Amino acid sequence: MNITATHIEINKIYEISSLKENDLTLKLAEMGCVPGTEIVKLYSAPGGDPIAFRIDSYILGLRKSEAENIFVKESELV
Amino acid sequence: MKRIALIGNPNCGKSTLFNRLTGLSQKTSNLPGTTVESTSGELKLKSGKIELIDLPGIYSLFAQSEDERLVVSTLLGIDVPRPDAIVFIIDGSNIRRNLLLVSQVAELGIPSSCILTMADTAKRRSIDIDIKALESELGISVTVVNPRSDKNIQSAYLSLENQTVGNIISQNDNFEHRLRSFYEGNKERGLSEETLKRYTDIEKIVKKVVIGSQTRKRNNTIKIDKYVTHPVFGVVIFFLVMMALFQGVFALASGPMDLIETAFNWVKIQIDEFLPNGMWADFVRDGILGGISGVIVFVPQIFILFFLIGILEDSGYMVRASFITDRIMRKIGLNGRSIIPLVGGFACAIPSIMATRTIKNKSERLITMLVVPLMSCSARLPVYFLLISLAIPASTFWGPFHAQTFVMTSAYFAGIFVALVFALIYKFIGNDKEKSEFILELPTYQNPRIQTVISQAWIKCKTFLSEAGKVIVVISMILWALSSFGPEEAMKTAHLKAVELSQINKKDSAQIHNTQKLEASYAGHLGKFIEPAIKPLGYDWKTGIALISSFAAREVFVGTMSTLFQTPEDDDQVKGIRTKMQAEINPTTGKPLYGVPYAISLIFFYAFALQCVSTMAVIKKETGSWKWPVALFFIYGGIAYISAYTAFRILSHYF
Repeated sequence: MNITATHIEINKIYEISSLKENDLTLKLAEMGCVPGTEIVKLYSAPGGDPIAFRIDSYILGLRKSEAENIFVKESELV
Repeated sequence: MKRIALIGNPNCGKSTLFNRLTGLSQKTSNLPGTTVESTSGELKLKSGKIELIDLPGIYSLFAQSEDERLVVSTLLGIDVPRPDAIVFIIDGSNIRRNLLLVSQVAELGIPSSCILTMADTAKRRSIDIDIKALESELGISVTVVNPRSDKNIQSAYLSLENQTVGNIISQNDNFEHRLRSFYEGNKERGLSEETLKRYTDIEKIVKKVVIGSQTRKRNNTIKIDKYVTHPVFGVVIFFLVMMALFQGVFALASGPMDLIETAFNWVKIQIDEFLPNGMWADFVRDGILGGISGVIVFVPQIFILFFLIGILEDSGYMVRASFITDRIMRKIGLNGRSIIPLVGGFACAIPSIMATRTIKNKSERLITMLVVPLMSCSARLPVYFLLISLAIPASTFWGPFHAQTFVMTSAYFAGIFVALVFALIYKFIGNDKEKSEFILELPTYQNPRIQTVISQAWIKCKTFLSEAGKVIVVISMILWALSSFGPEEAMKTAHLKAVELSQINKKDSAQIHNTQKLEASYAGHLGKFIEPAIKPLGYDWKTGIALISSFAAREVFVGTMSTLFQTPEDDDQVKGIRTKMQAEINPTTGKPLYGVPYAISLIFFYAFALQCVSTMAVIKKETGSWKWPVALFFIYGGIAYISAYTAFRILSHYF
């Protein structure tokens, strides 16, 4: 199952499975978006973009197009 | 002296700690050839004096924006000496991401120690950290400090004295070489794989040092954000906050500004009393003191606006403002991050242009810099005030609008509107291949730390004083010379004419002398010289002098007009000028020379024209060439001219 962070349900815990390889990979990884990390979609700005996610224990704002680079799966941790 | 650098993520409490430790001894210094600043302060430890350096917060050494690159160049010792030691500031509630930076910096082999902040927030989230275990994992001393409470600040001193080279979890044989190469702009392969490997190693450390289940309750920040980012409430809150910001500045700044003016007037009176009358007294009073007071009088306004913005930033709101405005900003070629420099532009363009360094994308950063000078900065305010009170009585209403307020608000919005249009134009003519990016941490809301906010607002004021101050004082001395001296023949004739006129009128002799002298001076000749060019806008040669002198700084307009129209007996500057100006009649139309069309036309001119030498100098420094400042000078000057002309022509039919 290949869903990206843009399309996940709000307030539901997912787990990052992989990152798309491109110019953003390094930056996203540095910000803690690495496989195995918890990710929760929290809310979005007026107009639906950017979106705020909880990554591990902090909140990160990402544009929709950027969140497309993060593949997630339903969390096994729950 | 030993130099110790503080290194940490953004929002980890680093600057608060720095402020607590260094207090008033802070100073900022420019790096050679740039405007990138680092802040440092001296500190006395048991082992002797040290210099503590505060660097911008970063997430990783593979830095992309200008302010992040400053950290890397400092750590690598490029252009500046390498620090002798490092203190890491780690946010305990966010330990994984914080340790990534530690693991990278550790590879540079600089002696270091670690301060763990926000351990109480971590505890509230049921995260407990085993300090001893963390020390043995990192191989450096770890001290828990809450930078916001007084109790254990002493333990931070221990950390400063106790640095060792830590354990290096090397991911790459040649980390420093690769980092240097990346810094120089070369593509380095395998960086994201390396980062992932680092996280795997960090996870092993976290397993050993973090005790307790990490149950995460929904905290207040998320609850607040539901409103702050709400499609309706969020936008309403944004506008209310901005309105409160400007109302606050007006309300708080007028007192200190009056005080400064009164103080300078008192000094001027003392000079008149104690210095022998003549050229030197004139020079000290009008040339030097006039320039200095013209600079100092803005400090309250600039300080208060940056103070209030600082409170919004430190509490966490400004990041949300970036978050909710990003979508619109992106459409006009800017970035959510542009909002902070743009709002700062209402205080002073100079520090705000420097604040664009957090924008990574070069085109977005450039466009932000280019439109910041269109925000009505505090130097325009006195010009607007004078012109509005000159032409429009306070009791006038245009339809439902209070006329004075309406014109003032319009002046601000005119600037914003033109900024939007220009941002769009720049976006379309620029060919931006670089990817735009908005990856921004939304930090936990917190009570703003007043001491930190004050010291940062003060740093901005110092930037204004050092960048603009010098220029304004020098130009005001030049202007003094230009208006005090003139071609010998003309000056003689002017003197005789003044004597003659004084005898006829039997009053106001000082005023008549001044006016005649100014008309005959080099400045008067300059004003007359440009009169044909500005006549279509409704200005006379006197306004011409004031316009030229405004290139030192816009508010010099008020000072020049007061020299032209004021008699020394007037105690209220604006009132004095106003009465005199209102009496002047245009000989061709028979209407008041300085009426509504004149005032509005000038307000438009001041709203758009790039009349600030210091702003041009800063844009030159930040972009690296004179191309942009010179282009902006002509483009915004053109817009100013055309709109002033249009306003004058149209309004002349009605007033």
